[in-house]
Amino acid sequence: MKHKLLPLSETMHYILLALREPLHGYAIMQKIEKMSNGTVLLAAGTLYGAIDNLNKQGWIEPVDQSGRRKVYMITAEGNAILKMEQSRLLHILSLYEGRESNEKI
Amino acid sequence: MKKFKIFFDIEKEEQWLNAQLQKGYRCTDISGLGMYTFEKTDKRYVIRLDYQDYLSKKKFRDYKGVYEDFGWIYIKGSRLGGIQHWQKEDDGRNEIFSDRQSQSSYYKRLMSYSFGLGIPLLAFSYMLYKDSGLYLTEGLWSMKGSLFWKAFLFETPFALLRSLPAFMVVFFAGSFYKAYRKYSMFKEK
Repeated sequence: MKHKLLPLSETMHYILLALREPLHGYAIMQKIEKMSNGTVLLAAGTLYGAIDNLNKQGWIEPVDQSGRRKVYMITAEGNAILKMEQSRLLHILSLYEGRESNEKI
Repeated sequence: MKKFKIFFDIEKEEQWLNAQLQKGYRCTDISGLGMYTFEKTDKRYVIRLDYQDYLSKKKFRDYKGVYEDFGWIYIKGSRLGGIQHWQKEDDGRNEIFSDRQSQSSYYKRLMSYSFGLGIPLLAFSYMLYKDSGLYLTEGLWSMKGSLFWKAFLFETPFALLRSLPAFMVVFFAGSFYKAYRKYSMFKEK
């Protein structure tokens, strides 16, 4: 069976992508706001739950402490998940562009 | 301003609290016994209620830290599990959940809370009633006339007390169902 977090939700997707550099919780939200051109605004409870969940899966891990804030970063396993998602999305994109059907002809 | 109120429904409590804040108050304290303290303010505030199960000290610090970074102020709650009350100045970003996944897991936490309280109560009620009815007086149902009525009326308050666990089972079943309805609403894609 597929992992319960796959395919990644928009929130999870953005958090994993943002954590390719080390960031603490609030900074993750700010980075995602920029990355998404202001369309994805994470709320506190959603962010806390998502970090907790991704950490539990071992897809991100705490790497540092800045004051009372924990700094997180993506793990090798998390990167593997992103790779999988990337090829899934690339395939869907290719369907959008009609390339897939051309190959068959 | 102090107001005394007891809620059995987390969403009703949230609505009531926000209705008070709309009148130009902010909440400064909530006591365990249902005493809500408010203070007049020129600013507008909002309150959001979250539910969390037991959190370790470290997790609780992380939990509070994230909310506080977003400007939420912790009014009342418990690390050991329960409703967490968060208040914040109204700045247009007033929700604590921003996607369906987190919204549905909130309702899932509420479901397991009702379930966790309802099931032990159900077992307790069963043990309480299985060997006897609600009325314990020996030979009550074969008594005649005024003797019956006196004994019956005397016993009734105790019978009501004995039926309390059953009422609570019904109540928790109701909250479980309510949370389940919301949960499946958000779970659907």
